[in-house]
Amino acid sequence: MKHETIETNAGWLIGLTLLVISIGGLVEIVPLYFIDSTIEEVKVENKETIHPYSPLQLRGRDIYQREGCYLCHSQMIRPFRDEALRYGHYSLAAESKFDHPFQWGSKRTGPDLARVGKKYSNEWHVQHLIAPRSVVKESIMPNYGFLMTPLSYKDIADRMRALKMVGVPYSESTEEYDANVKRFGEDIAKNLDILHAEENLLTQAASDNYDGNADDVTEMDALVAYLQLLGTMVDFSKFDEGHFAKFR
Amino acid sequence: MVASSAPGSSPVEQYNYDIVRKFTIMALVWGVLGMSAGVWIASELAWPFLNFDIAEITFGRLRPVHTTLVIFGFGGSALFATSYYIVQRTCQTRLFSDGAANFTFWGWQIAIGSAAISYMLGYTQAREYAEMVWPIDLLITVTWVTYLVIYVMTLRRRSQPHIYVANWFFIAFILATALLHVFNNMAVPVHMFSLESYSLHAGVQDAMTQWWYGHNAVGFFLTAAFLGMMYYFIPKQVGRPVYSYRLSIIHFWALIFLYMWVGGHHLHWTALPDWTSTLAAGFSILLLMPSWGGMINGIMTLSGAWDKLRTDPIIRFMVVSLSFYGMSTFEGPLMSLKSVNALSHYTDWTIGHVHSGALGWVAMISFGSFYHLIPRLWGTKMYSERLIFAHFWLATIGIVVYISALWVAGIGQGLLLRAFDEYGNLAYTFIETVSFLHQPYVIRAFGGALFLTGTILMGYNTLMTIIKSKKEQAEIEAKIAAKLANA
Amino acid sequence: MFDWLSWFTHMENTKPFVLVIFSITFVLILVYVFSNRNRSKRLESYKNIPFQDDDDDEEDGQSKDIKNEQ
Repeated sequence: MKHETIETNAGWLIGLTLLVISIGGLVEIVPLYFIDSTIEEVKVENKETIHPYSPLQLRGRDIYQREGCYLCHSQMIRPFRDEALRYGHYSLAAESKFDHPFQWGSKRTGPDLARVGKKYSNEWHVQHLIAPRSVVKESIMPNYGFLMTPLSYKDIADRMRALKMVGVPYSESTEEYDANVKRFGEDIAKNLDILHAEENLLTQAASDNYDGNADDVTEMDALVAYLQLLGTMVDFSKFDEGHFAKFR
Repeated sequence: MVASSAPGSSPVEQYNYDIVRKFTIMALVWGVLGMSAGVWIASELAWPFLNFDIAEITFGRLRPVHTTLVIFGFGGSALFATSYYIVQRTCQTRLFSDGAANFTFWGWQIAIGSAAISYMLGYTQAREYAEMVWPIDLLITVTWVTYLVIYVMTLRRRSQPHIYVANWFFIAFILATALLHVFNNMAVPVHMFSLESYSLHAGVQDAMTQWWYGHNAVGFFLTAAFLGMMYYFIPKQVGRPVYSYRLSIIHFWALIFLYMWVGGHHLHWTALPDWTSTLAAGFSILLLMPSWGGMINGIMTLSGAWDKLRTDPIIRFMVVSLSFYGMSTFEGPLMSLKSVNALSHYTDWTIGHVHSGALGWVAMISFGSFYHLIPRLWGTKMYSERLIFAHFWLATIGIVVYISALWVAGIGQGLLLRAFDEYGNLAYTFIETVSFLHQPYVIRAFGGALFLTGTILMGYNTLMTIIKSKKEQAEIEAKIAAKLANA
Repeated sequence: MFDWLSWFTHMENTKPFVLVIFSITFVLILVYVFSNRNRSKRLESYKNIPFQDDDDDEEDGQSKDIKNEQ
């Protein structure tokens, strides 16, 4: 075939262009789905410790996305000495395997949040979100006082069903529930049950009372519940140092 | 040529300039709005009180408004305008279907407008540069397929045997954008009537898909397509054909092949497997060659016309745009080296790099092309040449101020974050590096404001040109009417 | 079924592999574009296409398209 054919025939030009632009993406993306070592296996006592979000945490994550937090905060710690000292153990691929979409971020206008969970108290988070400069004088974060509004959670079951469709193991049938008990343990599996989603959400908000007000469920409750989970699902003291290195 | 509306002349122009005029105007409108949003959010970083506790204008919600309006609103409309113009002129045939062309206009404008409003109301997919919620994504898909059909059908009608190289770049841009858009936006809506959705991919695969999209939005939307612009408007403005047509062929195939591999360099040192990001880094370095090949082709085309540089502000825009194209395609491979990336990633150096490409290359070549195009579209001279010179200087100084400030900010913060004291502890807390950023942020906002002012001047200049054209038209019509009355 | 894909994950395979395919394609294009004098001449003649569109390039930007409308 002559190049002249390509130049003079729009069909050929389109076909070849498509071929040429497809190669790169195919070779780099497709294997990620099929190579086992892409995502680490994290099991303690035969239970997976990385699990999907509870209904309240899921709503918190939705709010994190809605407010564009990912534009200033990354959730991806790199394997460097300064990052280990500042944020903790480097992030594993497995830690975001239930994140639709991923929230690794691309810019740190604020610090990384991959392991912010349990580092600060709920009160600190609430105060910091409402008025960041009252806690950290030089902060340039916007005030998020408007999150102290009632959380909408009527469609929580729909949200979990949508996530189930893309592969997150939320359960609807008894078999699915039992499989989750086997996979994550009973405590976690309860929170993954779509049929009791609303009830679980209210229970968690009331018992942990993130925003300091037990009467209502606010967006603040949900967001803090999400933040307090970040990076806490892997207990690195249970693994020897070389364990995760072989996946890199 | 615009005289089509004049009584007595043929009702149909030889070329469909109406659609080009519409997209040109909207490009300038979105440009001013999007750059204003950019200056605003840059100022929010310098003075956080500007968030005013209003959810709709907090940084996190306005930032996608800025990126969407400038990339897809300004850049996208500029590409629709110039590609519709170029494909007609180089094929010497009228654009396929006026109705379909108008559909792409309205489809695109509605998508951009509703995207901006929906972000401010808190509806987003939370994927950088692809934040549009799923119904808008569907609208874009339909619009884009129509664009492809129009483009291909127009090419098939051409009276030339050969398809001019500028059209190759536009075809690659249209195809690649379709591919990227569809695969990156696959998602399941919460329910039929919810604007929210969850992405099909998760975690590491999602990250790779997103940055495959993200970098090729740069590669095909912001580079290949604007190269199409370059291969037409620079020769036309200078009055000389492109330096080497054979080089442009090599430029084309090498560029579109290599770009698709490099997205992974946005994910160096992350949980993405090493092999992927190393591969991406390798191809990023190779990419320097076609990029500079194209730049050299453009510069050599200009090189016979250096004398015009003193008198022709449009050629100045083109020279500066090519220089920034060369600069940022050198900086890009540099930053894709893993060792450099360890410092530059997550810092403002990246933002500076993007803007040297987006302001320096994309916006400057668009401005140059528009200043060439507008007089031809409205059949009159530009209202003021002095305003074009003023725009040129405001834009150029604005970019230089902007990227210098962010070099200081990015490299400075990168160094501070990895500094250790004599005992091996971290020398600075994170917040100390944030206070260091205040000054560069103020200067950056100032540089951005200069650039915005230039764009506003262009908007004013264009508006006055259109008014002038209307006036001249009316005078001609009055003369004809008078003649007819006398006869 | 997809085990063969893991072949790509080994740097010692992937690097020479991509180097070879890229180089071959690149050289083929180079040879095509520059080898034959007639072909070169033909290709270079295409650069004049933008100037064949009965354009103007008069200073006032007025075009002569009008005559084509008739």
